[in-house]
Amino acid sequence: MSAYLISVLTEGAIFGIMALGLNVIWGWSGDFDLAYYGYIAVGAYMTLVLTIGPAQAPAEYILGQQLPYPVAVVIAVVTTMAVGLVVGLIALRHLRGIYFSIVTLGAVYVMYVIAGQFVPLFDGYNGLSGLFDPMGDVFGLDYQSYQYFFLGLSLVMFVIVYAFMARVSSSRFGMALRTLREDERAAAAFGRDIYRLKLKGYVLGAALGGFAGALFAAYLTAFNPSAWSPVEVIVLYSAVLVGGRGNIRGVVLGVLIMGVLVQESTRFLPDLPGLGQLNTDHPQVLLAMRGAIIGLVLVLFLRFRPRGLLPERRFVDRQPAIDVAPRSA
Amino acid sequence: MSEALLTLGFGIITASILALSAVAFTLEYGVTNVANVSHGEILTIGAYAAYLVHQRTGSAIAAAIAAALAGGLAAVAMYWSLIGPFIRFGASPTVIFIATLGMSFVIQNTLVIFFGAANVAYTIDPGAPRYVGPFLVTALDEQIVASAIAITVVLFFIISRTKFGKALRAVSQNRELARVTGINATRVAAATYFLAGLIAGYAGFVLAESVGSFNPYFGFMFFLITLTAAVAGGLGKAVGTMVGAVIVGIILEALPALPVPFVGGYISASYNLAVAFAILAVVILVRPRGLFTNARRTVFE
Repeated sequence: MSAYLISVLTEGAIFGIMALGLNVIWGWSGDFDLAYYGYIAVGAYMTLVLTIGPAQAPAEYILGQQLPYPVAVVIAVVTTMAVGLVVGLIALRHLRGIYFSIVTLGAVYVMYVIAGQFVPLFDGYNGLSGLFDPMGDVFGLDYQSYQYFFLGLSLVMFVIVYAFMARVSSSRFGMALRTLREDERAAAAFGRDIYRLKLKGYVLGAALGGFAGALFAAYLTAFNPSAWSPVEVIVLYSAVLVGGRGNIRGVVLGVLIMGVLVQESTRFLPDLPGLGQLNTDHPQVLLAMRGAIIGLVLVLFLRFRPRGLLPERRFVDRQPAIDVAPRSA
Repeated sequence: MSEALLTLGFGIITASILALSAVAFTLEYGVTNVANVSHGEILTIGAYAAYLVHQRTGSAIAAAIAAALAGGLAAVAMYWSLIGPFIRFGASPTVIFIATLGMSFVIQNTLVIFFGAANVAYTIDPGAPRYVGPFLVTALDEQIVASAIAITVVLFFIISRTKFGKALRAVSQNRELARVTGINATRVAAATYFLAGLIAGYAGFVLAESVGSFNPYFGFMFFLITLTAAVAGGLGKAVGTMVGAVIVGIILEALPALPVPFVGGYISASYNLAVAFAILAVVILVRPRGLFTNARRTVFE
């Protein structure tokens, strides 16, 4: 297996976990949450400050521990859940629709600005680096075999998360979240505690984001504010939308299409005749083309196939007690 | 004391640009009940148009007209190509919100493809600063504030005195009822987008002039502040939005001058956006309809 294929698969697996987390909030609970990438970032940052050891001047950051990677991941996920809980407590109390989206957009900008500007926290725009091959020395792996190991780890984690989400999807909790999306009032009439349920869903989604962020940090070996670029973020939303919001199989398909196919195929654009020269002259042009394509796909899907390629299965009452009205032709 | 007044002076300049952008956004919101996330790109397009025309003709007035026209056309194009069809298709406001976010992304990247992502320096000689009353201003600042006031007056004349303004208010208050009385809601909405685009395009030109440079992302950054002003004043409410813009503009300028104990003495200006959003979150939570609205009152009163 070539190194390229390994990196694509590893990225795809991590990306899949991110998309499954977003699906809990946007797909099931039905809230368009723009703060989601912030949770990935918190997970990645916390993992780094807990594993890379004390700061060497001029870098400065909090904690600076050298904990084993799995321990750091657990603490990072818990921290992310706490941050998600705070945002959720504020944003989910009364707000729905665009007001929820606007407040979560605000939340992610506050996180971004603080991470970038408040240097003592995570070393500002320089970001953190130096997490090399976590757990590699425990198993005595060299650089080459470590790539296989980490690919395996990411895939196993993805499968575990997927299996867990499949269970949640058909659980009472998963059903309840969907009823909130469809009709909050009806759910309340059946005794659902809307705020509590939404919060649970939100924190679960944030936890998956933080977990994916923790893996992402190990994959990238570093994290800084430029990693939150709009391209990365919008790919995630388009993946969930294109695949099919609410359907975890659809979400995985969306990740394969948007995250892997579109992302990777645009990498070969310079090989097309005429575009190679353009790439050397204006390197940002191809990145912009990718961005424009992803934005366009998002708009076209919203317009022509809003439920995605693999729509969520709707639960229809097949045996209505009485025929309320004769079906008109 | 004089320092506080100086800050207030700068705040008024920021506020007047912000007021133009926010009132245009709130007009768009009013007639379609949709938050147009790609509103910031109208400003960006206005700035590019002004820059290109200014380079060719050397005339600031021609640049201003070009910015306004480009903004107006861009806004109408957004309405015809995306927002209108989505409304007819029966999409929810949240879906259109996401779609306009996607469009904003497409426009930003298209601009990068044609013009590059680098900052474009766009400086007009602002004239020597001098004191007007207690405020330290340049000739450019005076023109910005004067033009913002003039545009506002004309806009309120259009909204309150003309037939089109009446139709605009009717569609904003109740689209269905307006249609029943024979108003072509789609055409009124498109015309309103054109009007809002003229204002926003001009705001983009003024903003680029006052900042001194711009890039394909600059309108989006300003949109985030615009959103704060519009929500603080009450989405869809023109007067409230103006007041919200003035307050937010002054707070943003005043903030870096305030000593704060824990962030190295002063809040750096780069925290602006975070502070704007903190204000926004508080306003949405406490008064989701805006600071100055009485729930029973209607859109433009």
